[in-house]
Amino acid sequence: MAAFVRFRATTLNKSTSLRLSGNLSDPVRNIDWILMIAVIVQSVIGLFIVFSATHLRLIDQNFDPFVYTQRQVIFVILGAATMAVVMALGHEWFRSQAALLYGGVVLLLVLVLVGGAVTGGARLAFDLGPVSLQPAEFAKPIILVLIAGYIADAQPDSLDWHHFVMSLYMVLVPAGLMLLQPDLGSASVVIAGVAGMMYVANAKRRYLALAFGLSVATVAASILAFPRLRYQLRRFDAWLNQDSFREDLQNIVLQVRFAKRAVSTGGFFGKGYLEGPLTNGKYIPVQFTDFPFSAIGEQFGMIGGGVVIALFVVILWRIWRIARMSRNRYGMLLAIGVFTMLTFQIFQNIGMTLGLTPVSGLPLPFISYGGSHLLSSAILIGLVQSIHMRRLQ
Amino acid sequence: MAERKRVSRLVALAVVGAVLFGGLSIRMWFLQTVQAEQNEVTVLAVRTRTIRLLPERGRIFDANGRVVADNKRILTVTIDREVLKKPDDRLEMFRRLSGPLEMTVEQLFKRFDDKRFGPLESLPLKDGISEEVALYLGERAEDYPGVYVREDWRRSYPYGAIGSHVIGYMGAILERNLAYYRSIGYEPNERVGGYGVEQTYETTLRGTPGYIRYEVNAQGKLLRLLERVEPIVGNDLQLSIDMELQFFTEQALETQLLLRRRVEAGNYRLEDGSIDPARPEPVLYKSPAGSAVVINHETGQILAMASYPRFDLRWFNSGISRAKFAQIFPVTEDPDLSVLVNRAVSGRYNLGSSFKPFVAYAGLNSGQLVGGAKFQLLDRGTYKLESVPNDRCQQGVKCVFRNAVCASTGAPCRYGLVNVEEALAVSSDAFFYKIGEQILTERGYQPILEEQIRLFGFGSPTNIDLPNEYAGTVPSKALKKRLAEIGAISAEEGEAYYVGDQILFAIGQGLMSATPLQMANAYGTLGNGGNVMQPMVAKALFEPGTPDAKAGVADLASARVIERFDEKAPVSTINYPPEIRDPIVQGMQRVIRGPGVNYDYYHKATGENLFKGYPYRDLPIAGKTGTAQGFGNLPWNDSSAFGAFSLDPLQPFSIFAYLEKAGYGSQAAAPVVKCVFIALSGNYRFDELVPADPLNTASNLAAPPVGLRNPSCLAGGRSGNRD
Repeated sequence: MAAFVRFRATTLNKSTSLRLSGNLSDPVRNIDWILMIAVIVQSVIGLFIVFSATHLRLIDQNFDPFVYTQRQVIFVILGAATMAVVMALGHEWFRSQAALLYGGVVLLLVLVLVGGAVTGGARLAFDLGPVSLQPAEFAKPIILVLIAGYIADAQPDSLDWHHFVMSLYMVLVPAGLMLLQPDLGSASVVIAGVAGMMYVANAKRRYLALAFGLSVATVAASILAFPRLRYQLRRFDAWLNQDSFREDLQNIVLQVRFAKRAVSTGGFFGKGYLEGPLTNGKYIPVQFTDFPFSAIGEQFGMIGGGVVIALFVVILWRIWRIARMSRNRYGMLLAIGVFTMLTFQIFQNIGMTLGLTPVSGLPLPFISYGGSHLLSSAILIGLVQSIHMRRLQ
Repeated sequence: MAERKRVSRLVALAVVGAVLFGGLSIRMWFLQTVQAEQNEVTVLAVRTRTIRLLPERGRIFDANGRVVADNKRILTVTIDREVLKKPDDRLEMFRRLSGPLEMTVEQLFKRFDDKRFGPLESLPLKDGISEEVALYLGERAEDYPGVYVREDWRRSYPYGAIGSHVIGYMGAILERNLAYYRSIGYEPNERVGGYGVEQTYETTLRGTPGYIRYEVNAQGKLLRLLERVEPIVGNDLQLSIDMELQFFTEQALETQLLLRRRVEAGNYRLEDGSIDPARPEPVLYKSPAGSAVVINHETGQILAMASYPRFDLRWFNSGISRAKFAQIFPVTEDPDLSVLVNRAVSGRYNLGSSFKPFVAYAGLNSGQLVGGAKFQLLDRGTYKLESVPNDRCQQGVKCVFRNAVCASTGAPCRYGLVNVEEALAVSSDAFFYKIGEQILTERGYQPILEEQIRLFGFGSPTNIDLPNEYAGTVPSKALKKRLAEIGAISAEEGEAYYVGDQILFAIGQGLMSATPLQMANAYGTLGNGGNVMQPMVAKALFEPGTPDAKAGVADLASARVIERFDEKAPVSTINYPPEIRDPIVQGMQRVIRGPGVNYDYYHKATGENLFKGYPYRDLPIAGKTGTAQGFGNLPWNDSSAFGAFSLDPLQPFSIFAYLEKAGYGSQAAAPVVKCVFIALSGNYRFDELVPADPLNTASNLAAPPVGLRNPSCLAGGRSGNRD
């Protein structure tokens, strides 16, 4: 409540300060508008893509063709609001509440294993009627905040062994829980984000190697220990054998093959909006969550794909720049964690559409359909904006 | 220090990010430029479904318009392979289909794995479904995405086994022909003619398939119709075969073969000629197979072509199991048992004396017989080679050749002084031995006989419009060499062409072989004044859609002719002036009517007994008997041959019959030919020709037995001579 009051105070300040062209360090005057606009444009593109990839499916099932798009609009608005709140509360506030938030998220991750809705053999989310809540998405920013804050307290020149091990614990517990859902994608994204932070925190290379080894070993051990995780192995198998005729791989192989074909047949200018035959023909399962880039590529071709990739580059560049400019170690680490995490996730999602990486359930930030991930991305951007806004304080 | 390291690590991360995004961009560029075109094509194929519309196959009529190969419309359920790609979907779909199709899920999976059905075409699941099932599936298209009901045609053969060796059947494309059929636009799972005219005229009967092209979504649901091209019905084919005569010929042939199986051929004998006490029972003729060809020798049109064993064409689309099929049509090494051979065009036969008219022609036409028709030889029952010195003969070279044994004396027949005409009438071997020897030795060992014989078309295929034709062989040095190369005769034997080879050649034995079709055609040449005709079983090709005059009979008057085959010019013409023609024709006439020759006693002509009572005035004929010696010269291995041609230009028929291991020419084959001529002369009431009874799938017989209701035409006095 206090935060909310402060938020109102700052907005009031803003309006007055604008008029008075007052304090340069005023957070509101330091919003990174390029980042902001890029994120907004990307989200709007996402709305169009979600519509193009869902309307015929919905018509087929006698639903209103706008159902998913309307929900996505609500998610985007909610996301914007969330981002504003996060920006207002500030990343330091999150740092102060990190332990509590972390505890809550870990609890949710445990609960989802027990009470989550089962989809495709996995328990990823709580079913809340029209929407579902995916704890792993909310875990992403929280883990980054917690570990960034924790590492920032360490010796300034290098990440010592104690902090290193402790932060490993902090990431491996929730990552392990994600693995059990099983959600290898989210686990790897979290680990990537934390690894990025450790790297920039000047962790010794052997620590990083150890962390990497541990992660791989954890994944391998859990796949061996839990037979239901073996499905994850097939994704690697299908990735290595993209032309395979093996029956058990057909679901994955066909999905990727059509995604690649969709992008490929888009050519330079694309087939035009709502004119993509593979998108319209519903050839690519879960296209609107997992393969939105195939819809972009087919309908808007190299131009559209290039614009989307470029916008991502702009977003990432701005985040990196914020990390670079930050004079506060915690802010810098947090920003670089977000940078690494988003880089990994975007690369992974577009990469799997193009057949470069194995299939995972990771959404494409800002564009894929889905409430949890949009909110999660909004929090991440909100945190980064907050770092930028308060860099001069 | 730490600050600089931090910056460098930040930069390193940025570089990693740049590399990753660069990779994405390059990959996208690669997909959208380099692979775009290829993928566009693939996607087009994936997004569209082409359903082939198979044309109705052209029908086949007999000479009088009777429909002998027809089509029935059937409904076939097919399923889009795209729908079955995912194993889960496949199981689900098969479960749903198994009820309406009355097939088990296992059967459907078996179908799915069947290699006959190509991976690019939709998979036919079941054919011959009822309209109700088709309607049921159509109404529930939502539950059966990718399932279509297609109209197909199934061939039907109303007459079952009659004429089956000529009409032929449909079957899967054989592996070795696949490339050819693909190259002319066939699908690998199409059925094509596999025998008879169904095979020969496959491409013209088939018509041109059409197709419907739809755009479909990933679930195989039709989105819209893109294109529809109607199939073009195949051309209709009229045969020269008259089914009534065909049926009669088959009946006569089968009746005679079965009768011959009850006749004693002789006994196993010891070297001194006495009956082998270990095997005292007389051996019956096996009489396993045979064929007969009736040809119009003015046109080359085949009027009937019978081959025994017969088989019912309907086995080939009766849906019987492989095992059952193998039972009915056994794959066997024993040539006596094979069913799916048209012996009239594929039979490799020695001809025995039935070949003599052509040797007579060679002797006359080459000038070898000094004085032509007047040339005489004293036939004392044996012929000693004149070209081989006596000392060689004593060293074991066979120099003395004997005539066939006369039943009355038990010794080689002696006919006294005979000319060509008489030699043919009584079938004097000695006379032809002499021609055989001297046409070689007195002419500088030139292949005169071979050349003369080849004038009739022997040794090369007639190119009849039926598959698997055997070309036959005419003895020569080159043939012996070739046979030695393939190991059919010893290398030593293959070195040279001997007088002995020529002697056997002259009586239609040894390496001389021909098909009954070649013989019928060659007899026709003797009968028509010297024209070598092109034998054909097709009479005309009609445009598609010949209407019916009444059920089962096409209205030939309103048929639109594309091409006629019954007005063909002769392939070649031989030199056949009266001085050559007359002695041969008169000799062959005497075979039928007599007289024979008087020497010691009266020797009847070889057909004289049999043809007593033959309605000569209605249909005058001339013919020649032949007995081809078989393995070991054992009497029960004698095959029976007989050929004859009509002397009436208004009834220009030539017939040749060959009955394997059935005895003397005058006893087995000649009665069949006689029966057919009696029938052609109008002196026999044919059995009514009716469409066959439904195929009895419980039976293990390739065809139900048929016999002449009245076999009296087969009867008649026989000659006891093996000639």
